[in-house]
Amino acid sequence: MLRRLPYTLLFGIIAFGVMMGQLRPYIVETGHLTPFLTTTVFFRETLDASALGLVNYMGLFLQACLAKPWLGVSLVTFLLVSIAYATRWVVRISDVWFGLCWIVPFLLLASYTQVGYDIYLSKGPLRLFVTVVPLLVILLLLGCLLRPLWKKKEGRLLETRWGYIVSVVVFAAMGYYFWQTTYKDKNFLNILEMKQAAEHDDWQRVLTLSRENEAVPTRLQVCLTRLALYKTHQMGDQLFATRDGDAAYNTPKQHPWLRIIGAPLLYYHYGKLGFAYRWAMEDLVEYGMRPNYLRTLHRVARFNGEKELERKYADALRHTLFYEDEETLIAQEAKEIMPLTNYTDMLDGDDGLVEFYLLQSFALTEGGSREMVELSLMCSLITKQLEGFWPRFMALLPTWKDGVPRHYQEAALMVAQLQGGADTSQLPISEEVRQRFSRLVEASARLGDSANNAYSLRPEFGDTYWYYYFFVEGMKTY
Amino acid sequence: MMVMAACSPAVPEEATELGRTARILPDNGGATLPPNIAPLNFEIQEEGEKFVTRLSSRSGEEIVVGGRTVDIDVDEWHQLLASAVGDTLWTDVYTLQHGEWQHFERMANPVVGDSIDPYITYRLIRPSYVNYEELSLVERNMQNFDERTFYSNMPLSQDGNGQCANCHVPQRQGQSGRSQFHARQAFGGTVFINGKDISKVNLKTDSTLSAGVYPAWHPTLNLIVYSVNETGQVFHTLDPQKIEVIDYGSDLIVYDLDNNEVRSLTRTGNDYESFPTWSPDGKTLYYISAHHELQGESIDADLDQNYQSLYYNIYARDFDPTTYRFGPARLVFDAEALGKSASTPRVSPDGRWLLFSLADYGQFHIWHRSADLCTLNLGTADAPDEQGDLNSPESDSYHSWSSNGRWILFSSRRIDGNYTRLYLSYFDSKGHAHRPVLLPQRRPQHYGELFRSFNAAEWMTCPVGPSPRNLEDALRRDARQARYAGSALATPETEETAPEQRITKQNFHNIYEND
Repeated sequence: MLRRLPYTLLFGIIAFGVMMGQLRPYIVETGHLTPFLTTTVFFRETLDASALGLVNYMGLFLQACLAKPWLGVSLVTFLLVSIAYATRWVVRISDVWFGLCWIVPFLLLASYTQVGYDIYLSKGPLRLFVTVVPLLVILLLLGCLLRPLWKKKEGRLLETRWGYIVSVVVFAAMGYYFWQTTYKDKNFLNILEMKQAAEHDDWQRVLTLSRENEAVPTRLQVCLTRLALYKTHQMGDQLFATRDGDAAYNTPKQHPWLRIIGAPLLYYHYGKLGFAYRWAMEDLVEYGMRPNYLRTLHRVARFNGEKELERKYADALRHTLFYEDEETLIAQEAKEIMPLTNYTDMLDGDDGLVEFYLLQSFALTEGGSREMVELSLMCSLITKQLEGFWPRFMALLPTWKDGVPRHYQEAALMVAQLQGGADTSQLPISEEVRQRFSRLVEASARLGDSANNAYSLRPEFGDTYWYYYFFVEGMKTY
Repeated sequence: MMVMAACSPAVPEEATELGRTARILPDNGGATLPPNIAPLNFEIQEEGEKFVTRLSSRSGEEIVVGGRTVDIDVDEWHQLLASAVGDTLWTDVYTLQHGEWQHFERMANPVVGDSIDPYITYRLIRPSYVNYEELSLVERNMQNFDERTFYSNMPLSQDGNGQCANCHVPQRQGQSGRSQFHARQAFGGTVFINGKDISKVNLKTDSTLSAGVYPAWHPTLNLIVYSVNETGQVFHTLDPQKIEVIDYGSDLIVYDLDNNEVRSLTRTGNDYESFPTWSPDGKTLYYISAHHELQGESIDADLDQNYQSLYYNIYARDFDPTTYRFGPARLVFDAEALGKSASTPRVSPDGRWLLFSLADYGQFHIWHRSADLCTLNLGTADAPDEQGDLNSPESDSYHSWSSNGRWILFSSRRIDGNYTRLYLSYFDSKGHAHRPVLLPQRRPQHYGELFRSFNAAEWMTCPVGPSPRNLEDALRRDARQARYAGSALATPETEETAPEQRITKQNFHNIYEND
């Protein structure tokens, strides 16, 4: 027993540590992406869907437990440890060789932690969850059949020093393999954490995570950051000061990841409720009754005043494994989203280009609530469509009680300059911004061509709208 | 007397009258019932410590069930229904509260002698937009709860090679053993079933808009009229109706199965013909058509802008079964004059009534809350009857006549506005549709837990012949290509005699250029 304990403890620490540590956002996301309802219809549909229906049902149940990471990870770790012990029991292997019994648990665990972005494309339980219980059952059955055939003392003959060494080396190698092949992409994990914070309306946390991320962000991270800036009323002061980027999603599969991961969330919070519902439903059709989709469908039905539909989705959510009452959260969200729905319904399509659609949609919007006008102003700045700048700026001017946000001051000076030097002396633009703009104009004249300007001006002006307008080009929006 | 449930329930001898009906799920109170429908199981949604339900008829037959969930034995139910034919089935619900029995107001369901057809088929699909992977074609025995999937998309959907299976439509409620459905994409083609034989044909020709979409089997001939459509989906940004399904191009074709020939019936640019249907004598074809003049460069953008002013009327054309030729179009129902739009016309088996859906605009009424079912007396052509007992504030649309013409099977979103469920309504000899009954399920909670819609349901007098495996195999095979054989009109239409007198020069040119 004492010889087995170090392996067991080490495996437990590794598995538990990795999953509850660095991979925790991944674990949580897996749980929330698992379609599992405790209804009769879901049970029957899962059973009818394939010959392995019952196995899939058990796998989905186990995988859904990850929504409570402590529970799910404990269960998974326990089952993997059980497989190692069951293996030893079946083949009557000596404790000297016990390290070899961990090959399968490590491989199974790695099969889960390697998946990365593809968890969004999984149409059933992941391999680990669909394998671990049946494998355990098979091992126990095999043990019952095979154990009487083995002679115990033959195993003891193999107890040599080399046995220990080989055992330890194999265990270490498997641990190394597991760690090396685990998908630990920083942007991926950061995306998941930002998304989960956004789902709980923890916008400050989204911004903190955005700041903490050292890698060049993907568009999804940029979108989530901008949404958080809007929600925390920092958009006008901070948007062009936060890191921009269009890093590729670190996965060989070219899918519209922004759409797949972020569409329902982004559309919902920006008041494009029809599109939020649409993408949640499209993905529900494709990937099953994932709780994440049900939450969006429920929220939109509630917002639309579709009482019976809201009740249907609420009932479904109550039949997920770990239902959380989000009533307060949803009510608050609805209050914030309401002003963004102050527009005339129209027929439209986004072709899956979420960010592009949102930017263009707001940039081309006229009128609406104060919040909509500000988003229109900001999106027209982002898309560099400045034709409607002044009407929007002037409409918002009386509403900025604590002063005009910095980026709008910058834009006002720049637009006036571009339009032939219109008088801005009466506008409430701070002296600091005016002086910075003068320095920019001087430096620009002095430095010459634009490529040089970009490099030289970035340290001083990289956090301004001016820099974004003149030097940030060709950014993808997907 | 038949008594069910483990606790041997007894109907309370004394109970306080509550003066209102019990809340039950589903609530089919007042609906007219056929003598051969599956049991109407339900759940009592009232407070109580104990529950007793008595179902009875005037002849003294009764079933007593204990418990909140009323799960009725199929055989006993049919015995009870038979005893109530021509009269009423009564339902009495009792609850025990604080030691005292209470009796809710008796619910009454008229039971008529006219049977329903023993089977229906429908497509089970999530109320989806563009994705449709998990869909299946299902056959349901109407006398019990047996459900059989005769086609499932999943076995044929691997590595992104999926397809969409469209509505399964039989000839004359399946009495001839013939039916068809269409698949798009990976294993695309139209599948024809004749008893146990299956064939697959590609109906798309260079001279037609698309493969066949909405079919209408001729009642006796081996002939099907299809609409051919260039259909698109566009999405509402806010409106809870969520989607518009718009035909950007739409014509009618005729497919002769015996000769494997496709002929054009209409080929108009500014008229959008769709949803054909035959009169029971096979001498008249009805269909809907809307007219729209292109107002910009792109018809897609144009119709996306003006979708709310696209009104479909109902037209008819005479058909000569000896020559297989069609006559000129005539207007049957001018929905546009009412500021409305008609869709999915279906003629009753006795030829007297035209049943169709009427909504504020468009033709894909399942997404339109304004959609209601109406009937038009073809003999008198009076104003349409709005059939108030049939309809709801939500979408009521796709419908099918039973073979005896006494039952209407239709789709409705009245429960939650999004998930389509099937209802059956008795249609009496005076042309009045009675309060409908929701398609019964063994578990009363079934509809609440089910996140799929019942789509394009049709009555069937017999089961679908081929096995699911045979249908899968047939779909995997290459399709036989149909030949294009010109116009199906008796007289080629000129500008002056064109269907809705609106064909432009450009369209007129197109019609003959492609022939």
